[in-house]
Amino acid sequence: MIKFNSKLLLLAAIVLAVSFGGRFAGLAVNTTQQITLAVFAGVISTTLFFWERRVAAAFIGVAILISCHAMTLHTILKATELDIIFFLVGMMIIVGVLKDLGFLTWVIQTIINRRKMNGVSFSLILCVLSAVLASVVDEVSSIVVVLALVFQVCDTLKLRPHPFVLMAVMATNIGSSATMLGNPVGIFIGNKAGFTFAQFLVGATPVAFAALMVTLVLTVVWFRKDIRAMTLAMARHRKMGLGPALKIPYKTGLFILLATVCIIAFHHQIEHLLALGGAENHNAFLIMTPLIMAGILMIWRPHRARHYVEKDVEWWTLLFFMLLFAIAGSLNAAGVNGEPSITRNLADTLTAHVKGGAKAMIPFVIVISSLGSAFVDNIVFVAAFTPVIQNLCDQSSAYGILWWALLFGACFGGNITVVGSTANIVASGLLEKHGHEPVKFFDWIKIGAVVGLVTGVVAWVMLVAFPHATGESQEPSAPVPVVEQHQPAELEIPSISPYEQK
Amino acid sequence: MKPEDLHLTNFFGADDIIPHCGEMSREEVIRRLTPDEESYRQVAAREAMGSTVIRDGLAVPHARLADIGEPKVRIATSERGIVWPGEKSAVHIVFLLLIPQNQPALYLQILRALGTALKDDQVLRTVAAMTNAGDIYRFFESGKAYLPRYITAADIMSREFLYLHDTDTLQVCVDTIIKNGVSEIAVLDRDNDLRGIVKAGGLLRLCLPEYLLWMDDLSPIANFEPFAEVLANERKTWLREIMVDDFPVVKPDAPAIQVAGEMTRYRSPCCYVREGNKLVGLIRISDFLNKIFRE
Repeated sequence: MIKFNSKLLLLAAIVLAVSFGGRFAGLAVNTTQQITLAVFAGVISTTLFFWERRVAAAFIGVAILISCHAMTLHTILKATELDIIFFLVGMMIIVGVLKDLGFLTWVIQTIINRRKMNGVSFSLILCVLSAVLASVVDEVSSIVVVLALVFQVCDTLKLRPHPFVLMAVMATNIGSSATMLGNPVGIFIGNKAGFTFAQFLVGATPVAFAALMVTLVLTVVWFRKDIRAMTLAMARHRKMGLGPALKIPYKTGLFILLATVCIIAFHHQIEHLLALGGAENHNAFLIMTPLIMAGILMIWRPHRARHYVEKDVEWWTLLFFMLLFAIAGSLNAAGVNGEPSITRNLADTLTAHVKGGAKAMIPFVIVISSLGSAFVDNIVFVAAFTPVIQNLCDQSSAYGILWWALLFGACFGGNITVVGSTANIVASGLLEKHGHEPVKFFDWIKIGAVVGLVTGVVAWVMLVAFPHATGESQEPSAPVPVVEQHQPAELEIPSISPYEQK
Repeated sequence: MKPEDLHLTNFFGADDIIPHCGEMSREEVIRRLTPDEESYRQVAAREAMGSTVIRDGLAVPHARLADIGEPKVRIATSERGIVWPGEKSAVHIVFLLLIPQNQPALYLQILRALGTALKDDQVLRTVAAMTNAGDIYRFFESGKAYLPRYITAADIMSREFLYLHDTDTLQVCVDTIIKNGVSEIAVLDRDNDLRGIVKAGGLLRLCLPEYLLWMDDLSPIANFEPFAEVLANERKTWLREIMVDDFPVVKPDAPAIQVAGEMTRYRSPCCYVREGNKLVGLIRISDFLNKIFRE
């Protein structure tokens, strides 16, 4: 109870500090904007201090915003980003079907069936599998699958699973940044920035791959004693194997997954064929593909359809996302008397104080989003920071590179602490469910901070050094007229840098 | 009136006592004590299910009746004793209970109060020797035979239960489960402290890793392949490795409703009664239902 009260006091202090600090710093220019800042700080702090109460806090936050005229009911509903929610619902159903069909079981079984493995090769396979799975399904499904593998192997060999859980989680968070499918952050940023799936892939995958390689080396060195112990245990256990040797059918599941990814990859071209142009239909087929696939799968398996919708879709999380997006949207709302929005003020402040243009802001955004994501769920931080980058991009398209800084900061920063991403929290819960102690906060932060720092530097270097991979980054120029965010889609993948907003 | 204020004598008067009823059969005593044919039929039916002698010399024939508003208690005593079929020694006090069906705990509460009043064999024989109904009534009235506020886990638990030690093997555990037809067994450590339980369902989970259960169709493992490894290792797998430590536990003085809550919460067929670290009793769901709904 004392702990609860001290947390509550801290939360109140943060809310007041952000609200009045925002007014003092010129971000909030009237009382309504001050209340908006307070509500946003309150919801973010609740996710930090009272994780279980985050949906309740978001409900109350939305009610306060409407009551104090910060937003109308209509603008709140518009800001809930239902397109992203639909996308996530569809993907969750598809993953449910893949589980049901045994595809994910086959993935684990394929590794368990391998007889010639040692600690190092298992660690490498584990990390690559985590990253690849996270990039094609999602981070939470990926971590559930790879941890089932970790527990099976470690229980069989009677080893502590903690080092391998950490390796898997870190690779998952990094891999989840590689595509739009990997993380709600990815689809949110991609949609806001107006990237196609292919543009996102070209921009994100090389950085994610480089970060994964560096992380692999780091974690293998860091956990070398545990990996050596696994090698010895595997040698002792070679005759027995790591689990039952089974043949699991996988072709149907693999076909469904490949079909989904392929259709999503060509969504831009399909949209063009169907003449789905204009801001209203931007990325329409990207969003619709998981829904279409989910619909087909549920027609095919009607006896399980209800199960997929009720059990495989994380409604609690999605509801929180909707409310959070709505609250974050309020930061971007202009004042009733035409005052600029909070995010516009923040963007102006940043351009005024950070000299050197977009490139100079990259490390700033990576550090801020990494630290922010380390302590609150990364989607929370991204939802807050997105309107700021949108405002910067309105001033100059060169700031488009900051979308990537935000993506990598949020995903890689999620590795820093145990509460940094949903995958971390799920992994911690699974450890407890399997009768193990969760990883201690400081044990996590030791390796998490190193991985977060190094991968952040990798992202920074790659963003600065290779923007010319497909085009030249522009320095910020005089503010340009506000551009509609959801521009009409183009057929061809443009040849400009994926690190720049279109 | 609060339940803790209820005294045993709230349910009967001196008129309800038949002292020194002489040589009678069980059926004759029950017929004399029951107020009508229907209650006699129900008490006899309960008696036919099993003896209601709860300790030497004391029988508590009873029935739960739908059509009575208040509980009824009637007492018969016999210094020479009544022959009770199936019992080695004669019964000296017959305590007949007719309980309203909508008061499931009352039977056990009255039994507790009766146990307080007739605390040992000497007292029981003294009461049986009394020749006057008024004396018997005053005896009960003068004692502290109050009904407890609620029945506790200790009232309904069984003191006989199966257990294994954490150093026993999976093989011993499987054999014990098969031989005794139980679904779970308590696991004690070498100090006989309760450390966990092993569930038959848990043994299946041991053979079927979680990732296999993700599949809707388990025909790829129709030949029990995952069981092979567990079977090969059953003599080398110790119970401390596979027992679970999260299971329904209550203290002996916990209300019986807490037992029901724990069993429901854990979806478990048993609740373990622990005093300190020692396992003192076990409440199976069948015993619980019998005590609350039938006895």
